[in-house]
Amino acid sequence: MQDKQFMKETLIESAHAYKAGRMDRRSFLALCGMAGVATASVIAGDAKAAADHVVMWNWGGQSVECHGSAIGDAFTKATGLGVKYDTSGPLEGKLREMVDSGNVTADVADGDLFNAVSLGPTGHLEPIDYSIVSKEKTLPNYALEYGVSIILYGYAFVYDTEVYGDNPPKDWKDFFDTAGFPGTRALYKWANGSLEAALMADGVPGDALYPLDMERALNKVKSIKDDSIYWGSGSEVHSMCVNGEASMAIIWQNRGRNIETDTEGRYKLVNNQAMAMPGAYIVPKGNPAGRDAVMKFIATAQEVPAQLALLDCLGMTPSNPAAFGEIPEDQQPYAITSAMNIDKIVYNDPVWWGENGSEAVNAFLDAIS
Amino acid sequence: MRVLGRHISPGWLLVAPLLLVVLAFYAGPLANILWLSVTDPEPGIGNYQKLYQTDALGRILWTTFRICLITTFFSVALGYSVAYAMVHAHARNQHVMLTFLLVSFWISVLVRTFAWLMLLGRNGLVNESMEAIGLISEPVRFMRNELGVLIGMVHYMVPYAVLPLLANMQTLDTRVMAASRNLGATGTQTFWRIYLPLTAPGLIAASLLVFILSLGFYVTPAILGGGKVLMVAEYISVQLLVTLNWGTAAMLGTLMLFSVLALLWLMSRFMQLSAAFGGGATR
Repeated sequence: MQDKQFMKETLIESAHAYKAGRMDRRSFLALCGMAGVATASVIAGDAKAAADHVVMWNWGGQSVECHGSAIGDAFTKATGLGVKYDTSGPLEGKLREMVDSGNVTADVADGDLFNAVSLGPTGHLEPIDYSIVSKEKTLPNYALEYGVSIILYGYAFVYDTEVYGDNPPKDWKDFFDTAGFPGTRALYKWANGSLEAALMADGVPGDALYPLDMERALNKVKSIKDDSIYWGSGSEVHSMCVNGEASMAIIWQNRGRNIETDTEGRYKLVNNQAMAMPGAYIVPKGNPAGRDAVMKFIATAQEVPAQLALLDCLGMTPSNPAAFGEIPEDQQPYAITSAMNIDKIVYNDPVWWGENGSEAVNAFLDAIS
Repeated sequence: MRVLGRHISPGWLLVAPLLLVVLAFYAGPLANILWLSVTDPEPGIGNYQKLYQTDALGRILWTTFRICLITTFFSVALGYSVAYAMVHAHARNQHVMLTFLLVSFWISVLVRTFAWLMLLGRNGLVNESMEAIGLISEPVRFMRNELGVLIGMVHYMVPYAVLPLLANMQTLDTRVMAASRNLGATGTQTFWRIYLPLTAPGLIAASLLVFILSLGFYVTPAILGGGKVLMVAEYISVQLLVTLNWGTAAMLGTLMLFSVLALLWLMSRFMQLSAAFGGGATR
């Protein structure tokens, strides 16, 4: 694996040199031959082309269009480099596999900040270069060695106004109170957000959540198990609400907005005690476009115009404090760091999740199944 | 060359390319999985010890086994009646039935899963109609639980059960049944004492096929189970993609592989497998 990694790096270096005219074609092809790469494929494809664009690895759907208009255009204008997309979703396992196999095809992954904690120390990520990327343009605890938070998303909840019209639930305590608020709850299957919500419902203050008391959280989750169903993707919880299967659901705020629209206001979003989750850009070790180019890409995404465009297009909240004040009026309820919400939210700790996430997910799955 | 030729039949040369492809792209990665299960995160049999050290894994395996067993029972029972009806139908109707059966193979498992949600969900057609005619006052929970998973899986598996049974039933000598009736047995007696034992190879083949395919179900339990029904396939995917416990995932994969092989071996003690999957009743 190390060998492959080394060969790949050599090739990419020489591709850059070839492009810049520092190396003649013959030497470049000879190097390709030594590295065991068929020359035809190199001339047409990867290694050479890698020098003139950045590949962004995201989750597909609207994100291609939105990342393009919010970040890609400005980045291309500033650097002359293009942006391409891999929409297969940078799950931790896939990223680890990509780096281990020595065939790194993505430059920047639209991941979570806890990925930076779990994959960084194992050598799967490039460190962030804070001489290009700014620590001031994100929240203080969200600029880590191997990843920087670009946007925030949030866990809040929606409720069915036809079920709880007269006495709407106000916080996580009400969400977990199935006697006072009877009806089916939908929780997130991969533990994240659900555990914190359970602890807050059990009386733990929002600023004293970490390290999570797993036993206490799981007991609380189990206490409403008979009235719970669990979702694994945004579209799944969306249909659970639209079809009236769930009377309350933990939900990402941008999805909450879609549900409010789709049900014509029948479901309503509650932001009290919502949890800010740092979405981060991370860079696979040995990325093809080189460290400099990708750091410039990340820095572009931190700028206020890009931050506001991402909010407008994808519903992802800015993490750059300079953008908080510029969130438009109609987006305020759905942006976790807007003036309307910022005083009642809590912050996720990516370090705890990076170090304990695997055990937490497995314990949660064990508790709910 | 000539010495070699004497020992190795030239037929092997014809299949050699295929064999090489299978070795390189199938056996190789498979061996890698076995290797991973005893080396990640550290060398040793730690991954296998987890099986009895934690209750969680045992519970997941038991859930998988239980659901597969129930699915197999109902799929084969339903498949048996479908196959029986097909064999005894008029030739033209038989073609129509066979077409419908094959068409159902083309409908993706996702489409079927969501169709069940629309039909049997809380505000689905069935619940709404039953409420409308006053049969029930509260919606029945068909979906997002184990019942939902079973409905979805049985529905998917019935056609798989029909095919081996059909092949088996078509080879039966109908004169045996006629002789039985002629000797004074009632229709019921003939069925239980003649027909059913004769279709035993088909039953075994169908059960085996359905059970093995059910073991790997992923989408249906994940969606219709509402997160409460965790089967091995989904758990393996979580360990691979989310929690990065590749050793555990590889161990479970290995375990599933050997369980299936063991099942096949067990069956081969009682019958000729090629006959079972070819559907023939006799050797």
